[in-house]
Amino acid sequence: MSGIELRATLEVVLAGGFCGALGFWVLSERLAYAGESLSHGMLPGLVLAALAGAPLLLGAAGGALAAAGLIALAARDPRLGSDTGTAVAVTGLVGLGSLLALAPESPQRLEELLFGDPLGVGDGDLVAAGALVLAGGAALAALRRPLAATSFDPAGASALGLRPGLVRLALLVMMAAAIAVAVEGLGALLVLAVLVGPPVAVRRHVRNPGAAMLAGGGVAAAAGVAGIQLSAQAGTAAGASVALVLCAAAGLGALLPARRLG
Amino acid sequence: MPSPLDLADLPFLREALAEVVLLATAGGLLSAWIVLRRLAFFTHATGSATFPGLVVADASGVSPLIAGIAVALGYAGGVERAGRAGREPSAATALLLVAALAGGVVLASDVFESGAAVDRLLFGTLLGLETADLALSAATVALAVVASLALGRTWAAIAFDPDGASALGLPAARADFLLLALVAVAVVAAIPAVGALLVAAIYVLPAAAARLVARSIPALLAWSLAFALAEGLVGLYAAYWLDLPPGPPVAVLGALTYAVLALATGVREARLRAATA
Amino acid sequence: MTAAVVAQGLSAGYGGRPVLLDVSFAADPGQTVCVLGPNGGGKTTLFRALMGELEPLAGRVDLSDRAAYVAQTERTRLDFPVSAFDVALMGGLARGRWWLPPRRSDRTAARAALERVGLAAEGDTPFGELSGGQRQRALLARALVQDSAVLLLDEPLAGVDPASAQLIDAVFEQLRAEGRTLLVSSHDVEGARGFDLVLCLNRRQVAFGPPAEALDRATIEATYGRELIVLEEPGAARAVTIQHHEHEHGEQ
Repeated sequence: MSGIELRATLEVVLAGGFCGALGFWVLSERLAYAGESLSHGMLPGLVLAALAGAPLLLGAAGGALAAAGLIALAARDPRLGSDTGTAVAVTGLVGLGSLLALAPESPQRLEELLFGDPLGVGDGDLVAAGALVLAGGAALAALRRPLAATSFDPAGASALGLRPGLVRLALLVMMAAAIAVAVEGLGALLVLAVLVGPPVAVRRHVRNPGAAMLAGGGVAAAAGVAGIQLSAQAGTAAGASVALVLCAAAGLGALLPARRLG
Repeated sequence: MPSPLDLADLPFLREALAEVVLLATAGGLLSAWIVLRRLAFFTHATGSATFPGLVVADASGVSPLIAGIAVALGYAGGVERAGRAGREPSAATALLLVAALAGGVVLASDVFESGAAVDRLLFGTLLGLETADLALSAATVALAVVASLALGRTWAAIAFDPDGASALGLPAARADFLLLALVAVAVVAAIPAVGALLVAAIYVLPAAAARLVARSIPALLAWSLAFALAEGLVGLYAAYWLDLPPGPPVAVLGALTYAVLALATGVREARLRAATA
Repeated sequence: MTAAVVAQGLSAGYGGRPVLLDVSFAADPGQTVCVLGPNGGGKTTLFRALMGELEPLAGRVDLSDRAAYVAQTERTRLDFPVSAFDVALMGGLARGRWWLPPRRSDRTAARAALERVGLAAEGDTPFGELSGGQRQRALLARALVQDSAVLLLDEPLAGVDPASAQLIDAVFEQLRAEGRTLLVSSHDVEGARGFDLVLCLNRRQVAFGPPAEALDRATIEATYGRELIVLEEPGAARAVTIQHHEHEHGEQ
C-alpha cells in the first residue's frame, strides 16, 4: 500500500469510525435530515477556505456554524414549515458555495469539496481525525447513559433529573464536529453516508446502544478500508467509492434477517 | 458590464433566455403548490435521484430527457407508494440520494470519463441548451397551467386539511399523485438550465418568498410568478456577465429575496406588536 | 408532618396560554391521590408542572423530593434497543453521577425492582417485545429504582391485562406502606373511590378531597361533562367515562 493510500485509509478509519458510532444517536434522535442539511450548507465555508488556502477543517467548522444558524432561523418561520425553511437556506448556501467555486478565477476544486478527496489527506487532517476520536469518544462514553435515557423516553428522562434539551445540544455539537472532520474525505454531498449508513446497517442486529456504537464504528472503518481498496484497484473516485460501500453495507444490513448481537 | 439586451440579441443566448422564461413561469406556478404541500425536499431529492440516470443517458446517447423522466417518475412513484411525500425524509431516503450522487460521479468520472458533464448536470449550463429542452419546458408550463386550473382548489384543500379533504369527497390520492408526477417532469425540464442540485431555486424559493407577502392563494401564485421571473432573468444575466452556470446565481438571488422579505416583514410585525401592546 | 406534594394557585400551559387554571391541593407522605379528568383537561400538564418540566404561569408547586414519573407506554420508544433490566437500571441516573457507568448498588436495585414487579424472568427481554402490561411494569421498576418519595403515574392501568394490573396494585400498596406519595391519573371514576384523595380537573380544579366528599354527582358531571354516562344499577350509580384520543396542546 502506498503512502498516500495508507494515509487515506487511516483518515477514513479514524473519522469514519467515530461517525459510525455517533451515527446510532443521530438515527435515534432523528437527526439524519439535519445532518444532511448541515453538510450541504457548509459548502460556502469549504470553498472560502479552499480559496484562501486555509485548512479545510477551519472552513468546515465556520461553514457549519454559519449554516446551523441560518438553517435554524429559516426553519423557524411558521409560514413555511421547518422542511421548506431548511430547503431555502440550504439551496441558497449551496448556490453561494458553487457560485464562488465556479467563478473562472477560482481554482477548480469544487468536485473535491463536493465528493471528497481522501487521497489529499495531510498530516494536519490525520491529527484532527485522531483528536476527534479521542475527544469525541470520551464525550460519547460520558454521555452514553443520558443519551439512552433521553432517546428512550424524554419525559421520563426529565423526571430522572436529566436535561433532554442539553443532551440533544451536545449531540448536535458532536455531529457538527464529526461532519467537519469527515468532510475532507467524503465531501459535502456524501459525508452523510458515514454518519447514517453504519447505524442503518447494524441497528436491527444489536441489542443495546453500546453494541450499536461499537458495531457501527466497526462497519464504518471496514467500509472505509474496502472503499479505498476498491478505488485503488478499479480506479474509481476514492470518496465516492467509500460512500457507495457504506450505502451497500446499509442496504445489506437492512435486508439480512435480524441477529440480535450484544 | 455587457448589456442585458445581449440576452435577446445574441442568438446563442436566446435559447437560454427562452428556457429561463419558460422555467420561471412553470416554477412560479408549481413552487406555490410545492410549498403549500410541503414538497420542498421531494423536489430537491428528485433532482439528485435523476442525476445518475442522466449521466448514463448523456454518455450512451439515449435521450437524456426520456431517461430523466423515466427515473424521476420512478422515484416519485416509489415515494408515493411509501407514503412519504410531504413528510420528513427518512434515513433510508437520505442514503438513497447519497448513493445516487456517488454513483453518478463514479459513472461520469471513471466509467464514461465524461467528467465535465458532472458540473453541467449538477449546476446547469448557459449554452448548449437544445430544442428538446425548450420543448419539454414549454410542455411543463402548459401542464402546470392546466393542472393549476383543474386541480388547484383540490390541492389547496388538501394542503389546508388532508383528512377533511378526503371527507369532502375530493380525489385526494389521485390529485396528490398527479402533483408528484408533474413535479418530477418539471424537475427534469429544469436540470439542463439550473442543474440537478439546484432545482429548488426554481421550484421552492420563489414561493417561499411569496408566502411572506401574499395573503391568498391567487396572490401567492402571482407573487411567486413575479419573483421567479425576476430571479430567473437577473440570474441569467449574472451568469452571462460572470461566466457562470445559471443555477448558482438564481439560487442565491432566490434565497436573498426570501431573506430580505423575511427581515422586512419581521420588522414590520415587530413594530405592529409594539404599537398595539 | 410536612406535606409531600403541595400546589398553590397553580396555573400552567404552553406558549404563554394556560390550559390549567388555579389548582391548589396538598398530599402527605403515604397518601394516594387519584387525578381525574377528561383528555385535554390538564392531567398531563399538571404532572409536567410537578416534575419541573413546565414553569408555572402562576402559583407554585413544592415537592419533598424529585418526583419519579411512570409514563404511558405509548410515549416510549418500542424500537429502542434496551432490555427490561436496562430500563429499570435507568432509574439509577437520578441518584448517581450520570457520566459514570452504573454502580453495583444500582444493578442490585434494578434486579430487586424487577422482582417486585414480577419481571425477574424477563430481565433480558427487549423492551419492545414485552406485552403492554409488562412494559408498564418495567417503567414502574424504573421508578422504584429511582427511590423517590413521590411518584407520578400517568394512567398506569390503561390497557393493561388483569394479571399485570393486580401486580401493579400490589406494588402501590407497598409504596404506600413505605410512606411514599402516589399521584395516579386515571379515567376510572369508580376506582378513584379506593384512593385517599381525589383531584378532579377540567382545565381548572373542580374538586379536591376524600372521595366520599369530592366525588358527588355534580362534581363528576362538571369534570367530565359530555363524556360521561351514568349507569343506574340496583342500589348504586356507576359513572363510566367515554375516552377520546385527543392530545393536550403541546404534546407530541
